[in-house]
Amino acid sequence: MNKPLKDYRTWCLLLAALAMLVLFIYPSRLQKAPTYNYTFIIDITRSMNATDYQQDNQAVSRLNFVKQTIRELLLKLPCESKVGLGLFTERRSTLLFEPLEVCSAYTEIDTAIGKVDWRMAWAADSNIAKGLMSTLEMLQKSDSSVIFITDGQEAPPVNPNYQTDFSAVKGQAKGMIIGVGGLQAVPIPKFDSHGKQTGFYNQDDVPHRSRFGQSNLDPSQIKGYNARNAPFGSEAATGNEHLSALQENYLEKLAAESGLSYARLTDLQNLNRALQDPKLATEKVVQADIRRWPALLALLMLSLVYLPKLPKYRRFS
Amino acid sequence: MNLAVNTPWALTGLVLALLPLFNSGMRTSPAPWTALIPGDALSAFVVCCLRLCAVAAIAGLVLGMAGLHRTEQSRERIGHGAHIVLLLDRSSSMDNTFAGRAPNGSDDGRDAGGRATHGAVAEESKAAAARRLLTEFVKQRQNDLIGVAEYSTSPLFVIPLTENKNAVQAAIAATATPALGFTHVSKGLGMAISFFEQQSVTGSRIVLLVSDGAAAIDHDSELKLREWFKRQQVRLYWIFLRTAGSPGIFDQPEDSRDDNAGAMPELYLHKFFLGLGSPYQAYEAESPDALKQAIADINRLENLPMHYVEHIPKQDLSAACYSVAAFLLLVLLGVKFCEVKR
Repeated sequence: MNKPLKDYRTWCLLLAALAMLVLFIYPSRLQKAPTYNYTFIIDITRSMNATDYQQDNQAVSRLNFVKQTIRELLLKLPCESKVGLGLFTERRSTLLFEPLEVCSAYTEIDTAIGKVDWRMAWAADSNIAKGLMSTLEMLQKSDSSVIFITDGQEAPPVNPNYQTDFSAVKGQAKGMIIGVGGLQAVPIPKFDSHGKQTGFYNQDDVPHRSRFGQSNLDPSQIKGYNARNAPFGSEAATGNEHLSALQENYLEKLAAESGLSYARLTDLQNLNRALQDPKLATEKVVQADIRRWPALLALLMLSLVYLPKLPKYRRFS
Repeated sequence: MNLAVNTPWALTGLVLALLPLFNSGMRTSPAPWTALIPGDALSAFVVCCLRLCAVAAIAGLVLGMAGLHRTEQSRERIGHGAHIVLLLDRSSSMDNTFAGRAPNGSDDGRDAGGRATHGAVAEESKAAAARRLLTEFVKQRQNDLIGVAEYSTSPLFVIPLTENKNAVQAAIAATATPALGFTHVSKGLGMAISFFEQQSVTGSRIVLLVSDGAAAIDHDSELKLREWFKRQQVRLYWIFLRTAGSPGIFDQPEDSRDDNAGAMPELYLHKFFLGLGSPYQAYEAESPDALKQAIADINRLENLPMHYVEHIPKQDLSAACYSVAAFLLLVLLGVKFCEVKR
């Protein structure tokens, strides 16, 4: 009779050795993991300077909050996910770089997002519907999801007679519109040519109505109407376009028309959850390290060998 | 040796490594009176070794499971290369060909001034030609730090100075999207120089301006640029993608009334660059081939010795931990079979 085999410790050690054998033979397993490919298009129009977010008890502008949140989001994305960056202003957007792998190019993406500034805008209008359309057309061939981040403030307001037709891209583009800003209207800061704030836009600074094309109102209702010379009448339009709030209904409408989804940016968790939409994810097969499981078994077995004897097992013999 | 683990809480398992210090892990043999057995230095030594083996095996397993690795290291080395900022013109005219046409061949007449058929006619837009050659250029400059800035009406910060060539290529590829507004070169230059602000001065520092037009620079900006170029010791290369029929940078005005920055911005920008006091080279590329020549020159000239940091990627040590643990485990197992019980 082989005496060591009578000892439970021998079996423990044998099992541990077997576990280690398994560990070296099957170190990894193919596993499906969701990865993402986002192209963030950030609105850099003036209304994004409105400060209606709070961070560490300080009011921060919508743009800064967006930048900060995306930078934090980068850390949460799984490796092999890709992030591209673009800017929107006027009627269109531009792409700064095509999607880059987040883990290997983290510093570059992070720095580039940190440097996004409203002063990069090449023109001053803010026609979001047209901008969204041009973005979707521009990125139609790319397999990246468009994440269009805006507050929905059209400046000047869009004439309802001339709305953008999204039927050409509907259903082809995938992505999301992220609404930024508070629901309470706040004034938009005004800056001088050196970038110093000089107060806020007031009512006389901004157009309150589109004067482009034909008026959508009944001519008999317009004071001072003249079909050729004054299609919008003689009175100056008044309104609250100098104040800015998140136009959630409008963005939801744009999202529905263009076939994107909509979410509101409130904090990082919320954005992270919204962006983890399975529709935007691609399953990628990755090698997952599973060595810890056989190692755990070996560890338990080895600990069992050296476990101090409990008093009740002590026998006199 | 900067060691780190992936899952720090797993290190609590190291407590288990203390177990072999309290228990020999062997069966007890009954003896009438242990004091009768004389002390044996060799036995004590062997027992001590075996216990240490067990401690090391458990610790190895725990460290392996915690994912022990050596963090990314960087080593300073000296090589040949440069810090290059690519400053790309995104103005709308870049989307036309060298002949001033839209790439599909229809004459849009914006740049050619009615003489669109003159010069080298290439059915490739200036932006596409620049993109193709810059992609090639970046591939050849392996040791360099390259950054990308763009400008149209306003400057755009794209990619900071980086060794990551994929990032630079992604930025160059993104210029395939339609171009933007106008040409505001002074702001673009300011942005490009700002890339060097927090970099040590080593190797050559280059701003490679690729544009197809120029704009007058106002006096204030001129003063600032002069100072910045000098302070940051930046060398400037200007690749001017000349559209056939448009004024070049070396053209002298035929009429003295045209001799001003408004009428001949290219010539005046060139004069301003010459007066910067820092090394400056201009290339007038009228076709993709000429552009290639310019890039080849830079490739040949800009290879000053430079300190650069070589990155050694993170090294996984868990495999080593597991191997050690497995070896010790086999030793213990072997010893187990040598155990004698009477």
